[in-house]
Amino acid sequence: MSDLDDLRSAVRGLLTTHAPVRAQLHDDPSVWKRLTAEMGLMSLPSEGMPFSYVCAVLEETGRVLLRAPYLSSVVAAAALHQLGDTTYAPGLADGSITAALALDGRLDQVVDGAGASILLLADGDDLLVVEDFTAEPLEPMDRTRPQARVDLTRPGQRLGTSSHARNLQYVALASESVGAAQRVVELTVEHLRVREQFGRPLGSFQALRHRVADLTVAVEAATSSAWYAARAVSASPEADLPVAAPLAKAVTADAFVRVAGESIQLHGGIGFTWEHDAHLYFKRAWTTSLMHGDSRTLRRLAFQRAGQ
Amino acid sequence: MTFRKEVRTWLAEHLVGEFAPLVGTGGPGREHEHVELRTAWEQELGRGGWIGLGWPTDVGGRGASIEDQVTFHEEYAKAGGPARIGHMGEQLAGPTIIAFGTQEHKDRFLPGILAGTELWCQGYSEPGAGSDLAAVRTRAELRAGAWHVSGQKVWTSLAHLADWCFVIARTDPGSVRHRGLSFLLVPMDQPGVEVRPIVQLTGTSEFNEVFFDDAVTPAENVVGEPGDGWRVAMGLLAFERGISTLGQQVGFTREYDEVLALARSNGTFEAFEERLVDTWAGLQVLKHQALRTLDSDASSSTGVEANVNKLLWAPWHQKLGELAMAVAGPPSTLVSPEGLSPLQNLFLFTRSDTIYGGSSEVQRNVIAERHWKLPKDRP
Ligand SMILES: Cc1cc2nc3c(=O)[nH]c(=O)nc-3n(C[C@H](O)[C@H](O)[C@H](O)COP(=O)(O)OP(=O)(O)OC[C@H]3O[C@@H](n4cnc5c(N)ncnc54)[C@H](O)[C@@H]3O)c2cc1C
Repeated sequence: MSDLDDLRSAVRGLLTTHAPVRAQLHDDPSVWKRLTAEMGLMSLPSEGMPFSYVCAVLEETGRVLLRAPYLSSVVAAAALHQLGDTTYAPGLADGSITAALALDGRLDQVVDGAGASILLLADGDDLLVVEDFTAEPLEPMDRTRPQARVDLTRPGQRLGTSSHARNLQYVALASESVGAAQRVVELTVEHLRVREQFGRPLGSFQALRHRVADLTVAVEAATSSAWYAARAVSASPEADLPVAAPLAKAVTADAFVRVAGESIQLHGGIGFTWEHDAHLYFKRAWTTSLMHGDSRTLRRLAFQRAGQ
Repeated sequence: MTFRKEVRTWLAEHLVGEFAPLVGTGGPGREHEHVELRTAWEQELGRGGWIGLGWPTDVGGRGASIEDQVTFHEEYAKAGGPARIGHMGEQLAGPTIIAFGTQEHKDRFLPGILAGTELWCQGYSEPGAGSDLAAVRTRAELRAGAWHVSGQKVWTSLAHLADWCFVIARTDPGSVRHRGLSFLLVPMDQPGVEVRPIVQLTGTSEFNEVFFDDAVTPAENVVGEPGDGWRVAMGLLAFERGISTLGQQVGFTREYDEVLALARSNGTFEAFEERLVDTWAGLQVLKHQALRTLDSDASSSTGVEANVNKLLWAPWHQKLGELAMAVAGPPSTLVSPEGLSPLQNLFLFTRSDTIYGGSSEVQRNVIAERHWKLPKDRP
């Protein structure tokens, strides 16, 4: 077992016990404590761990649709670490402060905005850090991913350029989506195994087996794309990452949207209810896909960045 | 000298002169090109020690690492090395003999593959046994120190060039399905073997019907125990989608670049931009997938990587062929006196990508069954 596998299974164990999907509908500060104070997951960037470690954690947080602001905060921590910041690093590393990201420059819908101590804001090519802002919670369709409307009280301070932070956010969203998409397929297969109709398990019907196989292919491809982008963060941040990151966000969001939709279909009526978790994955998938750049635009961006 | 440099240098020095016409020739739909010269080239590769790179050294291979094998395939593709006429020996027959054969088999058959002097073909499919390979009916009987083989194989690629065929035949009369089959090595040059070419979608013929009518091969030319051929046959299929598919990426990139260049030069780029971008994105994903499959650190091996990979690349390749035709427009429906263009050939040949080597439907069955262990399908 590699270190990465150890990390994965430790995080999975913690989340399965203390933060299953159903627990993501409401704030629970104890989860954040466990992830930070107990497991030290927010200090991975400042300890100089490769971003693939962060991505392994994000795959796990994706599986349970974690509500706590890990993705936003850890991307901020990694971006700030790369820029040599020492002001916010300690607070982020020990989890005593959290961050929100507005890297598409939009303040009217900021994920994890309420409760965040700092905001990383992209103003064109500039990356600003903002400490003084107000955040008014919004009512999101995906109730596992809080959003807020943010108003700046005082302008932010320029830290550097915004492109690297944005690429990190793409990669982070890709990893999270992969974890969630894998989980959706598992849940779907489990259902097909136990649900019987016409006197046999649904999973014995070839029409459905083939659909499951196709979903597996989509998720495996997405996993590879996210895996490659995560490696590019350390292996080739200048050349490869700007191409691989937006591509990974597009590929994984598309796969997540596809499997989440198919999951509802393959669950039948129960998949259309709030009694089952399928709808939570479905809403997270679409939220991820609709925010932070749509897939078509991102693929085109990657294509152009690759000099095609 | 790095391995990459060694490969590159050797190719630069040898793929010239008499072999220069071979650059970019052969391959799917184009196996008829320069057959004799490509056979000579196979022997040139053998002399250079480039055949059996990944085979263990004690059987005459080089024991090269996976990375080095990938490097070789990449450099070979970049140099425009011709499609390998000996690939079924090197990729299929050889590894099977190494894994399941006796020392005598190794001594007898591996040197011919390594030297490029003996070519092989794969005698699995029959008219009644395609996806359902266990339905083979070709029979073989052991009489007076020799197997006597009778039956018909079909879709046998390059049988018309091959010296040897590995044949799955039923050796226990009255046996059914997977039991009672044997994996036989049969010489092609004999009165009991007749090869009839089949014209395929591209208008060329690289696969054949092969008729065995009391064809003979010595008793010792059975790999594995008689009756245990299914195990050997399945072991071979695991080699089928191995390292060589990595050189594939280089070929795919070249084909894609050609389509993109055509769109830029004939003014269709804007009309097809979205498909061109999506196809490019798909190609990147194929690369990422191949790299992750090879990387032992990547977690969560599914055990069905080869099936997943085939379901990714085969439809992608087909779509690329369709896009090539769309970009070329109405002229793509005409055939020039020199025959099909490379892009027309791509378009036509890729229809088979989702059929051979386990059809897409069969791959899906395998993923559902082996990876997800979904309950068996019953009619
Ligand atoms: C270019 C090319 C080269 C080849 N070279 C060789 C060679 O060198 N040696 C050799 O032995 N063979 C060779 N083959 C044969 C190849 O392996 C077979 O064509 C393949 O296994 C499919 O068998 P079939 O053609 O009999 O189709 P069938 O098995 O009859 O299939 C027809 C259709 O039904 C589908 N189908 C079949 N079974 C199922 C199922 N259980 N569930 C759902 N769908 C199903 C298939 O996917 C396919 O779409 C080659 C084929 C091609 C096209």
